Amino acid sequence: MFLLLYEGFGPLRDSLGYSNEVFRAIELTLISSAVAATLSALLFTPLAYYFARNKNSLGEALSDIPASIPHPIIGVAILVIVSPLTPFGRFLLSIGINFFNTFLGLITALTIVSAPIYVNSMHPFFQSMNIAHENYALGMGVSKFRTFYAVVLPNSGRGILTASLIAMSRAMSEFGSISIVAYYVLQQPFYGVNPAPVLIYQYYTYYGLGAAVTASAVMILVSIALMVLLRLVKH
Amino acid sequence: MIEADVKKKLGEFSLDARVSDADFICLTGKNGSGKTTLLNLIGGILTPDEGYVTLNSRKITNLPIERRHVSIITQDSCIPHLDVDRHLVWGAKNKGLNVEPGYITEVKTGLGINFDGKVRKLSLGMRERVSLATSLISKPELILVDEALSNIDNHRDFIDIFKNLAAKAKIDVIFTTQYPEDASQADHHYRLESGKSTRFF
Repeated sequence: MFLLLYEGFGPLRDSLGYSNEVFRAIELTLISSAVAATLSALLFTPLAYYFARNKNSLGEALSDIPASIPHPIIGVAILVIVSPLTPFGRFLLSIGINFFNTFLGLITALTIVSAPIYVNSMHPFFQSMNIAHENYALGMGVSKFRTFYAVVLPNSGRGILTASLIAMSRAMSEFGSISIVAYYVLQQPFYGVNPAPVLIYQYYTYYGLGAAVTASAVMILVSIALMVLLRLVKH
Repeated sequence: MIEADVKKKLGEFSLDARVSDADFICLTGKNGSGKTTLLNLIGGILTPDEGYVTLNSRKITNLPIERRHVSIITQDSCIPHLDVDRHLVWGAKNKGLNVEPGYITEVKTGLGINFDGKVRKLSLGMRERVSLATSLISKPELILVDEALSNIDNHRDFIDIFKNLAAKAKIDVIFTTQYPEDASQADHHYRLESGKSTRFF
């Protein structure tokens, strides 16, 4: 990492590496990763809580699959969903839902790959929460659902924020699935913008190591800022 | 009236206990004698391997915690993010009970709740007062108190006041304590030793 920073801003520095195109790509990556992390928090916090309070080895194994298979498979799977070759895909396309080279496709892929990281980060947090609070609420006749959102959630803010930042950092580093689903986004306000990992790969193949290393060094600085924020939240 | 005749094996430990009484019941015994396990079986946190639990003639052995009308209070029981006044009516509100403001004042005064602030920031003794009061106000049929009376200042006077408030609200109470002398304040006394229960009175 330090070698990349040194070379990127030193001997191998290439002005293309900190061009407007790179900053737009980083902006797209930051925004799409933040949206994906937020979606993970909204959709998968109850699942993480369920896994923490109930033994379900099969469910936990299934939820880990997106993190444990080669990510191009996820990209292919997402494209199959909206494929005009399937009735369901034709239906989705007919109502305007398209994942191919769209912001929706990008955040769908990022959510799928970062959600297992989110769930696995929230799991120990919920396990460490004192179950006496929940039993106390349940003992007063409060339903499990209400206990979750009126007792567990209000006391989970820090855990959710930390797990979301971890999921966001994972989403920022994704390449395999998005290079298939959203090599670039063909929608405003990001029309023609590549996600940063894809752009770095593109720079390497088109312009060689210099531009790719400088763009990587810029991306590393952004990642370091996110990691510092994560540590600050944790402590 | 609580009736429990339960058996439970947890690792090397075996519980074989029976409780059949109403009103204010004291459960004594050394650490590891099975007091908490018995309360957990009555409260629904654990299910017995054998036996049954009935509350006012209603069989509750396999009911989930939230359908038993049994409030469970340990030293950690509270809703940490609430402030004291919201905490006190939280259970009753969620049950849809209409609580007279006069009754809340009576419970607060009786249990010495003359402080405010977030419950998570209170001392252990203060937090336990609030949790016990919240439980009383939510009107369960039975309150299980697991060592949560022992940390309160002048706890013997406090036990008398809590007993009177519970009796007035027609709520049965089972409380555990490591102080055998607390049993004299109860209507009934059971002792647990290595998982076996003995009724003294």
